[in-house]
Parts: sequence; structure tokens; C-alpha cells
Amino acid sequence: MKEIIELSEKTLTLERNKYLKVKGSIDTNIYYIESGSLRIFVLDAYEEQTIRFGYKENIIVALDSFLTGSPSELYIQAIKKTVVRVISRQQFNQFLEQENNQRWWTKTLEGLVLQQMEREKDLLTSSPKERYERVLSRSPQLFQEIPNRYIANYLRMSAETLSRLKKS
Amino acid sequence: MSSAHLIQTLLEQTRQIINQVESLKYETPATLTWKTNEQSWNILECLEHLNLYGKYYLPQMEHRIKMATAPWEPEFKSGILGNYFAQSMLPKEKLNKMKTFKDKNPINVPLNHSVIETFLEQQLQLINLLNDSRKVSLNKVRIPTSISSLLRLKLGDTFQFYINHIIRHLHQIERIKASMN
Repeated sequence: MKEIIELSEKTLTLERNKYLKVKGSIDTNIYYIESGSLRIFVLDAYEEQTIRFGYKENIIVALDSFLTGSPSELYIQAIKKTVVRVISRQQFNQFLEQENNQRWWTKTLEGLVLQQMEREKDLLTSSPKERYERVLSRSPQLFQEIPNRYIANYLRMSAETLSRLKKS
Repeated sequence: MSSAHLIQTLLEQTRQIINQVESLKYETPATLTWKTNEQSWNILECLEHLNLYGKYYLPQMEHRIKMATAPWEPEFKSGILGNYFAQSMLPKEKLNKMKTFKDKNPINVPLNHSVIETFLEQQLQLINLLNDSRKVSLNKVRIPTSISSLLRLKLGDTFQFYINHIIRHLHQIERIKASMN
């Protein structure tokens, strides 16, 4: 991870609610979050659906655009004041020219596939309580970093239901 | 110009517009309604003026995109008039004052924070339209202007004109803020 951050020559500061990316744009950058937090969401008929979060020391990417170079539906928005380091696809490609970096990248992608499977299971879990417990045991830090209403949206439940589950 | 490049540029401009106006949400009513003199606009009046244009152009564009039969073309070529309108909107080094049509002038109408919400909702609509326009011709689909339904501009030019007009008034808002200090 450290090697990738060192590739960055650009830092961006986003105030709360400001957008890093909007729907339909091409964004092939990798963002390393120095401080703050962000969320990725899609707008489905003006209804927001949160897909992923990123907070301090995470990487956040519009992965579809990053991999294909095509426009992506995703919005990326700062939840609070956030500082990110920007790594371009070009810088990353140079990094990948080294063989051990390629091995690292394969490992990272494998990890990501496993994460996505867990998320798929979340979405297929019908009990709100179980969905909550799955995410809590997987990423306890999420509940420290991200306001409840966004987590509730991620868990596909109302903020009231989430706060009731947290108390029980 | 490549049509895909134009759409990407316009989306990026819209993103910056949203970010600029997002920060106005936290300004006090005193700041938002402050004006240099009776004849000039305050910040909310600038935004309401833009909302009035949005109320005309966004449904127009939505309708014409939905009804369009001419498919996407990789190249977009600005029309002479469309290009002129779009460029004339951009703020210049030296202030180029413009006349406002009466029905688009919100001066001294009581306004509140909801103007900002409406503006931001309109920007999300605009983003959706920019996305939807990837299925249609930016050259052949034409949008009647608010000046006259006989005067119709290419969809690609209308987007540029519309967004440049917003950029123009966001500059004005920056000037208003600067003149307060």
C-alpha cells in the first residue's frame, strides 16, 4: 500500500457533501483517503443506494471506470471534510510493470472478489437483524466512522430500525 | 469535437457547479440576501434566476431526448448561432453585463434556503439528462430556446449554453461574496 501512496503527486480536499465523482463521468483514478470519509452510491430514480464506504487509510475507486475506462454510474461524495491522495491510472500502470507489484495486485483483486461475495450475501439476507450483525462483525470500525443514516441505507433498512438493532 | 468528450467535460463542469453551491448551504440568511444596491441581485436571486431557466430548459431537453429518433453520433459540431450563444454566456475578464428577460428576473422576490435545494435538485436532473443524451444525436436533436420557439439550438449547444450560463452567475455569486468583505 505504501508504495502506491508514494506514486501520488496530487492531494485533493473535499468539504462535507462535495462530490469527487458524479454519475456518467469517466474516473480512472485511485484515491487514498488520508482523513475523512466518503461514500459511493447510485441514484435509482432519485433514490440513493449506498454501495460502499471509504474512511481513513482506505483506498476508494470507481472500480468499473478504473477497469474499463468507460463512464460509470457511480457517485462518490464526501461524508465529512476529506483529504485524498490521487493516483492516476497511468502512474498505476507503471507501478504494475514490476512483477512483484503484479502479484500484489492479483492478491488485492482476489481479496476484493471475496469482499464482493460477502456483500452479495448481505443483500440476499432477508432478516435485517442478520444483515446488521454480518456487517458489524465484518467491519466494526464502520460504525465508528460513518453516520447511522448512511449505514442504514447500506443495510437497506430505515435509520429507526438500525438504531433499534444497535440497542438490542 | 468528440461527443463523448463533450459529455464528459459537461459532467465535470456540473460536478464543480454542485460543489460550489453545496458550500452555500452553510451561509447565513444575512449573507445570502446581501446586495450591493437595490438594483443588483443577492446570492439567492442569482440562484433563483438560474432555477427559472432550469424550469424551462430541463423539461424541454428531457422531452426532446425522450422523443428523439436520431441516434448517437461520435462527432459533435457546434452550430454557428449555438456556439455564439454558448460562448457569449461565459464571464469575461472585463465584466460584460447582460440584460435579463423580465420573466427570468427574481429581483426583490422573497426567497429562502429552499432555492439552494431546488438548484441542486436541478443539477441532478441535468446529470441524468447528460447521461440519457448518450443515446441520441447531439447534432440533430434540437431544443427551442426560451427566447423564441422558432429559434432552436442543437442539443449539444443547448447543454453548453445552459451550463455556461450557470457558470456566469456562479462567478457573480463569488463577486457578491468578495464585495461583502
